[in-house]
Amino acid sequence: MNQEQSARPAAQTVYVVDDDPSVRDGLDSLLRSVGYRAACFASTAEFLAALPRARPSCLVLDIRMPDANGLDFQDELVRRAETVPVIFLSGHGDVPMSVRAMKAGASEFLLKPFREQDLLDAIRQALAGDRTRQAQDEALSSLRERYQTLTSREREVMALVALGRLNKQIAGELGLSEITVKVHRGHAMRKMQADSVADLIRMAESLGLLRPMG
Amino acid sequence: MTRPALLRYLSESPLLWLAITLMAGLIFVADTLTKLEIAFAVLHVVVILLAVRSGRVGAILTVAGICIVLTLTSYGLTRHGNRDSGLANAALSLLAIGASTWLAVRLERLQARARHAQSDLARMSRIMLMGELSASIAHEVSQPVTAIAANGNAALRWLSADPPNEEEARRALTRIVADAGRAGDVVARVRRLVARAGPQAEPLDLTETVAEALAVMRGELRRNEIHLRTELDDALPQVMGDRVQLQQVVLNFVLNAIEAMAERPAEERDLLVSAAGDGKSVTVSVRDSGTGLGGEAQQRLFEAFFSTKPTGMGMGLAISRSIVEAHGGTIYAAPNYPTGAVFGFTLPAVRTQGEAGTA
Repeated sequence: MNQEQSARPAAQTVYVVDDDPSVRDGLDSLLRSVGYRAACFASTAEFLAALPRARPSCLVLDIRMPDANGLDFQDELVRRAETVPVIFLSGHGDVPMSVRAMKAGASEFLLKPFREQDLLDAIRQALAGDRTRQAQDEALSSLRERYQTLTSREREVMALVALGRLNKQIAGELGLSEITVKVHRGHAMRKMQADSVADLIRMAESLGLLRPMG
Repeated sequence: MTRPALLRYLSESPLLWLAITLMAGLIFVADTLTKLEIAFAVLHVVVILLAVRSGRVGAILTVAGICIVLTLTSYGLTRHGNRDSGLANAALSLLAIGASTWLAVRLERLQARARHAQSDLARMSRIMLMGELSASIAHEVSQPVTAIAANGNAALRWLSADPPNEEEARRALTRIVADAGRAGDVVARVRRLVARAGPQAEPLDLTETVAEALAVMRGELRRNEIHLRTELDDALPQVMGDRVQLQQVVLNFVLNAIEAMAERPAEERDLLVSAAGDGKSVTVSVRDSGTGLGGEAQQRLFEAFFSTKPTGMGMGLAISRSIVEAHGGTIYAAPNYPTGAVFGFTLPAVRTQGEAGTA
């Protein structure tokens, strides 16, 4: 744990949006003392202007902002398909507001003044979540890149293999010889860097190819 | 009644008691010495009506008792005229004194009840106002506290780092000191605002009084995206008054202004609060760019239970008016140019402290 902490923080960024300069300065110093990179903004607009964000990262957001309600801002993030984990800080946490925040995907909701350990725990969790997500995103995009290198015939064969068809059935469906199907299948597996048919099926699933073809 | 209390009574309004004594004496002398067979003592009614002005039931009853004693004494001393008509006159006078005393006491009790109800209303409105403001105040306090906690923890970490980063720690500690001061200011303002003391007349600087009230509203104004401008004269003459009550009036004006501007686009929400004086009086005004006043509204604004707001109780301005008038001032409302409304009040300035009397 300790080792992990000292090894990773340098690359991790915590964004802070709070309109109060005192709170901003305090959080900035606290986050840097723990070893994170801190980037502070006075408004959600400033934060949006600074996108795209570093990764992995998370956002600590004061919900009572002068320029935009924190929750409206969250809607804006969803619209931009921005998946930054958000930790809400609130001066007065009424139940409906916290429920709405959690439903909208807030990773944590903290009442000001909060215990620093609660905030640091929430940040650690949010960053871990973002790291996992980042790994998934990267895996998927590399998968997509590899898939792009397939010919359209190879893609057809791969999809049918993933659906569990035998080579003979595939040959029948596509009007090819069984040997040709075998060659396409071999090319697809090599290009996709799949170790086994099961592996190829998992990739097809990630790429969303498992819907039966019309 | 103890002696010091009696003395305080008498010294409170010496002219009134002088007039009462002179009047009662004159009537007694005239009643005793004149030969006219008329009920001179009936004039004691005037003495009792004067006593009503003291505003105290005990004083009215005491004066009535003295009048009765004087009338009876006069009856006993009178040497002239018919004994029977003298008796009838004395009886008539006593009846008049009794009846007017009864009326005077009733009047005084009703007035006392009205005053009491008014102060209850003022307190109630203050409580409601505090409810509305408590969220704002909680925010004002929790901001510096949040910052202090963050800086404190940061300072500890900077110092226990290897090697310790003293420069960062020093900066964090400096911010803690500043934030603690800020939290302290908020607490001091709130304490002054909620101090449940009765109305007190003290020499006040309205610029400072108004600025304090506005400081409490800071969060509320910011949350409603209202642009506040102030024109507060630094060299205003002082006024006599109750700081908390006058701040309540200002807060009431500002709260109304915030509501009136809720429908306006954020960049057109302007609030101008000013305090100015001309040597004889001081005027405080709150100018908004809100929806303004309708014709009927302007006529009836200061009436109790009149409200243009769907959720309004119609008490705010009525209470403000009674507060301002109790300070010997006037309250007013007018349209603002090009849009919105101006609410304000004018209080008499104090020239020397000795001259300041009760309203």
